[in-house]
Amino acid sequence: MENTINFGIDLGTTNSAIAKFIKGEVIIFSNPQDYGRNTLPSVVSYKKDKIIVGNKAKEFLEKDPKSVVGVFKRKMGTAESFKIKSINESKTPIELSAQVLKELKTFVNTGDILDAVVVTIPASFDTIQSNATKEAGIQAGFKQVVLLQEPIAASLAYANMKKERELKDGQWLVYDLGGGTFDVALIQIKDGEMKVLDHEGDNFLGGADFDQMIVEKFLIPKICEEYNFDNLEDEMKSASGKFNAKYYVLLRRAEEAKITLSAKTSAEIVVDGFEDENGNEVDMEITITRSEFNDLIKSNIDGTIDMIKKILTRNSLKPSDLQFNLMVGGSTYIPYVRFRVEEVLQIPVNCEIDPTTAVAIGAAYYAATKPKELEKSTEKKQTSISIKTSYNKASKEKDELFSARITGKTDGLSYRITRQDGGFDSGLKKLTERISEDLPLVDGAFNFFSFIVYDNQNNIIETDIEPIGINSGFGISGQPIPEDICLEVDDYDNPGKTRLVLVFQKNSVLPLRKQFTFPLNKGLIKGNADDSLIINVVEGSHLSIPESNKPIAFLRIDGKMIKRDISKGSDLEITISITESRDVNISAYLNMADQEFKQLFNPKQRNTDIDYLKEQVEDLSEKLDLEIEEATEKEDFETASALSKLKKEMETVSEETEGLTSDDVTDKRYQLEDKKRKIAQEIDSATKNKRIQQVKAHYFETKDECEKMLDENGNDHERKTFNDIVSQESAFFATNSPLKIQEKSDELYSIISRIRWRTPEFLVGIFKWCRDNQTRMNDQPQAKSLVDAGVFAIESRNWERLAEINSGLLNILPRGAEKEATTRIGFGF
Amino acid sequence: MQDIKKVTVKVPQAYLDFINQIFEIEKKAYNLKEENSIQRNINKMKGIMEEEFFKGSSTIGLTYHNPLGENYTDTRTDCEATISGTSVENLKIVEVIKPIVYYSYKDSDKVLKVIVQPAVVIVQSINP
Repeated sequence: MENTINFGIDLGTTNSAIAKFIKGEVIIFSNPQDYGRNTLPSVVSYKKDKIIVGNKAKEFLEKDPKSVVGVFKRKMGTAESFKIKSINESKTPIELSAQVLKELKTFVNTGDILDAVVVTIPASFDTIQSNATKEAGIQAGFKQVVLLQEPIAASLAYANMKKERELKDGQWLVYDLGGGTFDVALIQIKDGEMKVLDHEGDNFLGGADFDQMIVEKFLIPKICEEYNFDNLEDEMKSASGKFNAKYYVLLRRAEEAKITLSAKTSAEIVVDGFEDENGNEVDMEITITRSEFNDLIKSNIDGTIDMIKKILTRNSLKPSDLQFNLMVGGSTYIPYVRFRVEEVLQIPVNCEIDPTTAVAIGAAYYAATKPKELEKSTEKKQTSISIKTSYNKASKEKDELFSARITGKTDGLSYRITRQDGGFDSGLKKLTERISEDLPLVDGAFNFFSFIVYDNQNNIIETDIEPIGINSGFGISGQPIPEDICLEVDDYDNPGKTRLVLVFQKNSVLPLRKQFTFPLNKGLIKGNADDSLIINVVEGSHLSIPESNKPIAFLRIDGKMIKRDISKGSDLEITISITESRDVNISAYLNMADQEFKQLFNPKQRNTDIDYLKEQVEDLSEKLDLEIEEATEKEDFETASALSKLKKEMETVSEETEGLTSDDVTDKRYQLEDKKRKIAQEIDSATKNKRIQQVKAHYFETKDECEKMLDENGNDHERKTFNDIVSQESAFFATNSPLKIQEKSDELYSIISRIRWRTPEFLVGIFKWCRDNQTRMNDQPQAKSLVDAGVFAIESRNWERLAEINSGLLNILPRGAEKEATTRIGFGF
Repeated sequence: MQDIKKVTVKVPQAYLDFINQIFEIEKKAYNLKEENSIQRNINKMKGIMEEEFFKGSSTIGLTYHNPLGENYTDTRTDCEATISGTSVENLKIVEVIKPIVYYSYKDSDKVLKVIVQPAVVIVQSINP
């Protein structure tokens, strides 16, 4: 157990925070329910069955004051209490503060048992108010509560930041301008003792007032100049006014603009989304400059300066008697606040600490010096709570009902359910024997919820509950697809051939949807039926040849269907989706024409395009001849004989397909398609060995070369990539897929290219080749200047520069005709 | 006791600013009532941020959700709300200034999401 208190809490009027001193540093705990923010709004909301503290309670503060209480710190130590209508009870400021302190306990994720703490109080608090704060701490379950004045805490944060534990004797001010309150204190340090000599404050001044001023004194007059409104301000500010919702939108935008103005000299505020009395749509972008904003807040800031002057007069001090004015509170980020206070008072402002967390940080530093005065009996709370849960583990609903049965003593215990993504918090609810809760689900994801039981001081009670997990993703009772679904594309590595791109992998669960964007490798002329793009979706392994898979959807877009000429290089967006009942939807969108082609393919009817079948049969026939020729040349008689047996069948299919008319209505096309597919599968399997041998040989050659280059010039990252590929060797060989093995060779080759591209000999070689081709380049003046620069780079042995020059030169080389790719499909990989 | 991994994600603010702009365009395009040609570009941008921003990692990407018209209660920590009007019963989201932004990732084949930006909304009672 630690011997010092170490935990410090800033129990603020509007916001609170908790920090811990750990090994010389202070960490601020972030609010687990508020996306990493370090503060907790000091607002408590009571409902019949639950208590909410913080941001969610703050949202309801203004509109539901009978159930939600804020700024109760001002009433600490008074006999006043707050009547809460929803629970028909009264709550004292001490009880409300205890709720805030208990909520802050839930921020601590270090596993500590929180039994002692330093809590800060305003400089203005008297003995009764201070004791009330202490009592709140005890009610929240702390056994030892040490109080510390806020301006001293801020000063300690500063002193520790400067690593000056022993500040020199002297005096300074702490100027604390937060979201809703202002405090200023005069601090003195004498013989090592720091104390508050004097203080002033305004409980109704802060950043929120500045946002309101932007809306009321700046935006509303500007809107009324441009548009016709009878009484815009009242319609906005009145809760029953027709523009009340817009008022809050403007307040939000004003706040954003205020924050922007701390960094920039002007900010834009968009005002839109409503109509004036004449029915004109309001749509304005109003610019507010920093000086306009400064004019708005000037009188308020001057008011704070007057309070400081009063302190100086009362204490017979001149500005020069003060070392600095320490800026605390979020609103001191505003440059004008800093500037104006310094300008008028001539006391240097000090903005070196984080103004929003300084008080909590200072409290933690102080806590690190305070010994714990507790008995060391802090064994973990043991209870015999057992929880049995019941809920659907998979759901497509927006909410899922969760219920639980609790055995064991539930008196004085409460529970809280939160969703792991941070989007749901049930609030603190009373634990009873049976509980039920509607849990909202995020669609398309696995939703985890945590169920935590607390005692009456918000200490966590261990239970036997398992994590609550509900799958709202795809695949709930969905069916997997039995084969890969692929799209046929032009194969840029093998001119004249096409290949398959995997759209949905085998066993993916329906429904499925995917979008691809391809630049077209050919243009289409409007009206020309011979120019066409082909979208051919097939079912079967994506590693096979396209002809051997089963067509499930086919769409041809030709020149007669388009509104305008389409250029090569423009984008084609293809969206393929399959419903749970296996309907295949294809959408092809031509960006350049802003034209979409959609078609639904029903699984019950097959889709075989006769023209495309003819093309495929012709190709397959050529392919078969080539394979036979090659096998015979290599004296691979086994393969040659297997292929020759297919030849006759192929000829029959070719003849019959040729004889089909485009509008043939019989089943003939399907029979021929089946036959073609079988032949293709047999060619695929007969030649697979040959292709595997070839790609394997190529893989080993590339691997040797890569290894050699790595030894000479490789770096650690490249070696790691190489080792990763080689370690998977047996796995990708086992796939028996030529494409897969080729993929790995390509990965090795890209390592080789990277190494080469920084090897002087290679770079010089490329440069010389470019120089020899200089006359062919597109931009002659640029080519000349690059060549001159290249000569200089070689002379000065600046290889990085030479690499850049080479890229520049290659970019202005015309594309070689030898790189002409297949354009049968119209797009490819 | 439960063992739920609490994932804290910090997405660069520029990404969130970018998404908020896409959301704004989407809102405006909806009001234009054009032939959804702008919506296509928006969908494309959404697709890029969902699939391409973090390519190669276990992350799936960023998505956003517009909660306009949904019910609002104090359990919804996925929204930062301001209540307009006079009543706090039967609240509905009537204005969305910023959408809910999710960061999706895979953990043992489960798709999980974390909110990286709660929505900023205005809510109002639907009671007369």
